[in-house]
Amino acid sequence: MLMEYIIETENLVKQYGAATVVNNINIHVPRGNIYGLLGRNGAGKTTAMRMMLNLVFPTSGTIHLFGVDCRENTEKLYCKIGSIVETPGFYENLTAYENLELLRRLRGKQKKEYVQDALKVVGLQNERTKPFSDYSLGMKQRLGIAAAIMHKPELLILDEPINGLDPIGISEIRLLLSELSQKYGTTIFISSHVLNEIEQIADIIGVMHEGKLIEEVNVEELHKSNRRYLEFKVSDTLAAVKLLENHYRITDYLIQEDTIRVYDHTYNSGEINKCFINNELLVTQVNVYEENLEDYFSTLIGGGGIA
Amino acid sequence: MLNLIFCELLKLKRSKMLPLSIVGALATPIMMLLEALQTHFEHPEQSFTLSDIYENSLLYVMLLMNMLIYVAITAYLFSREYTEKTLKTILPVPVSRNKLVIVKFFTLLIWSIMLSVVSWIGSLVLSTIYHFIFGLDDFYFTASLQWLIKFLLSGILMFCTVSPFAFLAEKTKGLVAPMIISAVMVMGNVALCNQNIGALYPWTATFFLLEGKTESTGYPILLSIGIIIFVSVIGSCATFHYFKKEDLK
Repeated sequence: MLMEYIIETENLVKQYGAATVVNNINIHVPRGNIYGLLGRNGAGKTTAMRMMLNLVFPTSGTIHLFGVDCRENTEKLYCKIGSIVETPGFYENLTAYENLELLRRLRGKQKKEYVQDALKVVGLQNERTKPFSDYSLGMKQRLGIAAAIMHKPELLILDEPINGLDPIGISEIRLLLSELSQKYGTTIFISSHVLNEIEQIADIIGVMHEGKLIEEVNVEELHKSNRRYLEFKVSDTLAAVKLLENHYRITDYLIQEDTIRVYDHTYNSGEINKCFINNELLVTQVNVYEENLEDYFSTLIGGGGIA
Repeated sequence: MLNLIFCELLKLKRSKMLPLSIVGALATPIMMLLEALQTHFEHPEQSFTLSDIYENSLLYVMLLMNMLIYVAITAYLFSREYTEKTLKTILPVPVSRNKLVIVKFFTLLIWSIMLSVVSWIGSLVLSTIYHFIFGLDDFYFTASLQWLIKFLLSGILMFCTVSPFAFLAEKTKGLVAPMIISAVMVMGNVALCNQNIGALYPWTATFFLLEGKTESTGYPILLSIGIIIFVSVIGSCATFHYFKKEDLK
């Protein structure tokens, strides 16, 4: 069956003068999935999202939302989308209710109770008189989330939505997003530089680095394929390697100083260890490791961590 | 569109700019009262009429005080979406960029007219007080109504000439540049308000036109009107074009 993509970009490019901020990216976000876009600060995530929201115009390439070019029929298209771009911006002199009421009116044909419902979801229903200028960063972020979800959108585009939230707030938002995806089939496109947060909710992860999308991978498959390996600390790595190749026909290994990583799972650690000892090699350490996502993505972007 | 207008007005709720602009618009009538009092005590033999007060008020309103206020309002309306970073919230709603600019110009027009009316009311109230204490010649309410029409027209004409400041506010994303340029523009008003060439300077041309002084300058009225329209159209087109094409980083 042909996959239905809610967001699909084709060779999307954004240049500012000589600088290419987004370089030929092809993103595919299937319906009902949570897509996590990872990348360091300055990787081009926010610019890509701004292009999807028609805030920034692409230099070249196309963006299809719900299968339609995002520049066509924008009114019909964007009323199905909720968004946060970095720290949310609201009118400083208005309260949370007034700010959401303003958005409700701009959208038109929206039920009045949507405002109060959205405020309840993010726990701001009692902030009746405080203007937005007096809000903490966490409160501003929660109001941004309320604005994004209040009209029950089919697609959420969220750029760093957990910025400034405390651990409880982060956990609540994570639960909310998972619920929106599972219960209502909302497609969520979320960016972050915190791998841990994305890993817990995303179905698909895209990794951007220096403007390019260097990986787009299904999280479940990634976990399955995450490489487990055996690590042996031995007295003579060259002799040990010879034994692995000749005795077990193992070629999937990696030598790091005095340790050997064996990625081939055909033989267990005890068997290989016994072989080394029988061949008079001194084995001082045997470990079973699983490469975590941090290592995986760090390797992808050439080291240094994802954040 | 009605919803957009309502929202634009809602944005002004609790905004300090609204009461400040009203206070600013009342500055001219207060100055006129002080001037009248000074004249009364220094030259008690001199008498003046309600029309004299309104004429002087209109001069200060159009060339000095209200012009500065209207530029400040224009800059505030067009730059606050940048300073408060609200465009990224409202544009994906979606709100059409063109409609947003139209509504902002409409709000500016309403606000300008409202402030002109405030200046007119201020002049009327203070003149009435003066009249009851010291006496004014030809003090008729009907005379003040004739001036109301002129004040309303002044609001519209001044609205036409502030559109370049809307573009400037968009481009610089703040109040500072428009306010500095407006100070230069007002200095130009002061320098040219008694010169014939003032008929060709858009911000004095509006005053000359309203006061029927253009003909006496020797320049054709149509040229004066053409210059005002030109400035207005250029300013508006630049504002629309820039906002429509701008990347909101």
